[in-house]
Amino acid sequence: MRVQQQLAASIAKRPLGGYAAEGPVASEPVAWAAVALHRAGHAGPADSACRWLAESQSADGSVGVTRSEPAPAWPTALAIYAWTTVAPGRFADPIARALDWGLSVQGETMPRRDNIGHDPSLLGWSWAAATHAWLEPTSFFVRALDAAGHANHPRAQQGRRLLVDRLLPEGGANYGNTMVLGQTLLPHVQPSGIVMWALPTHDAADPRVGKTLDWLEASLAPDLATASLAFASLGLAAHGRGAAKSRPLLLTAAQSLLANNGSLYRRALVLAALNSTPGEG
Amino acid sequence: MQAPAPTNSGGLDRRTLLLGGASLAGAAGLGAVAQSLIKPTPVFVAAGQRYDGPLHQTIADGLLATGLDPAWLRGRRVLLKPNLVEPSRRIPHMTTHPAMIVAAAEALRRWGARVSVGEAPGHVRDTEMALVESGVAEALRDARIPFADLNYEEVGWRRNRGRFSKLPGIYFPRSVLEADLIVSMPKMKTHHWVGVTCATKNLYGILPGIKYGWPKNVLHHHGIPQTVADIASSAPKTIAIVDGIDCMEGDGPILGSLKHMGLVLVGQSLPSVDATAARIMGLEPTRIEYLHLASRRLGPLDDRRIEQRGEPWRSVADPFQVLDEPHLECLRSTPEERLVT
Repeated sequence: MRVQQQLAASIAKRPLGGYAAEGPVASEPVAWAAVALHRAGHAGPADSACRWLAESQSADGSVGVTRSEPAPAWPTALAIYAWTTVAPGRFADPIARALDWGLSVQGETMPRRDNIGHDPSLLGWSWAAATHAWLEPTSFFVRALDAAGHANHPRAQQGRRLLVDRLLPEGGANYGNTMVLGQTLLPHVQPSGIVMWALPTHDAADPRVGKTLDWLEASLAPDLATASLAFASLGLAAHGRGAAKSRPLLLTAAQSLLANNGSLYRRALVLAALNSTPGEG
Repeated sequence: MQAPAPTNSGGLDRRTLLLGGASLAGAAGLGAVAQSLIKPTPVFVAAGQRYDGPLHQTIADGLLATGLDPAWLRGRRVLLKPNLVEPSRRIPHMTTHPAMIVAAAEALRRWGARVSVGEAPGHVRDTEMALVESGVAEALRDARIPFADLNYEEVGWRRNRGRFSKLPGIYFPRSVLEADLIVSMPKMKTHHWVGVTCATKNLYGILPGIKYGWPKNVLHHHGIPQTVADIASSAPKTIAIVDGIDCMEGDGPILGSLKHMGLVLVGQSLPSVDATAARIMGLEPTRIEYLHLASRRLGPLDDRRIEQRGEPWRSVADPFQVLDEPHLECLRSTPEERLVT
């Protein structure tokens, strides 16, 4: 059996898991498993993962990081993305309630400051309640709104503005700071991939987007960590780039995960990335 | 050394996670206060150190010189916490050197401790990336030292014993709650907001990103000095082993310049170790707010109440450059030194 199919089968066998092989079941890995399994043709296990997310939903519509930890609830965006990908009709009610919650929360804003490079007045989403908006949770909600048919919602539009504002002048992004006390900060692969994945058809005219894609493609290397590789591949694939370079690396990562009982999180991310980079293997 | 209360050595249920650690934190906090009232706190400084030298012996000497009882370590779970905040191969002086981590593990294992390494990088959600970029992954693999990704482990809540911020409690990951001893293993660096980052502030990295975010913005919104002191006051028993060999000055903790010092610092009071590091760096520890707060519970900053073992700090002092910013300028104990922009 080909590696990609083996990886899908391993996830389909047990679609609930966490960030570590023996770690607690967590919402983000389960959401990525649902998306990856659906696109790999494993409808039943994908549906099981989505039902677990729906059963984990709180009364206010949010989905916490794990069932025992309902806060913070940044995985709500990924649950929306999973439900809309797998079966939007069947999960219409959880989607609607999660969207209501997602649109009711926002990161803390503040006026622009001389010693900070980004515009902290832009509305986005935070990791935890009553804190500033950062790049990854905003990316997840922007992509979720897009998937749910709300790409033109004012929050989605402002979220995309925030994402472009947080790109570094020479490309790439980190957790969401660009400059501090006059120094340009370092780019990281994972958040750069995630923000490109969230902006597949928008704002591509900004030169920082092209520079970020160039930087991401140059970052693809055999020693890249698994989650960073997967998100870089997803971000590049969303813009029709990088498959020839990323796919062999993803297949090698898949083999390693299968051999070493890799976590659901990493296996699901690699499968999702492989699904987005068509080819042999 | 005061031994902490015994912890659950088997499976950890939720009730244990929620209730078990209060006594640990209490023992650690009260122990330090009592100790500070009775006698000076020892801090060990070794000079002329190299990453390819016998660091395990230096560390063992430092632990013995500052009162650690090897017999107490036998069978204990010890969690080494390096600083891997945002690793980059281009800036190795940003993160704790792998040789320091392996040497500490070797020293503690020789006394029978069960050693693991844990980290919850504050700026990096891909912990595997942090391990690879810092060179720590390879070192841990070679030395067969287990690693715990503190960002994503099961968590347990503990009452905030510091109460310097308004946080009622703090979530700690399982590996922290199960540890008998946490060894803070920072890199000695300047910090562009708070002046110095060393053993006490390094404990930000034991808190799980899955609860606090990347960066751990929940803590920032409750005050960096206050929450640093809260975490140090609420964590299980802690000691410090500082990588002061290749240090960072200027725009630390990420983008500063390399400053070679060749030092290793060891001690059981994190604020007292940091106070010594700050003095070596040319900064006045009593003006660093989080140290001032943490010292109320965890050990003195006053030079007269810190007993220097090994090299006297004055003999190795070499002021670090700090950014030309008003909030940093006021921290310098040597204002005649040049600032950097």
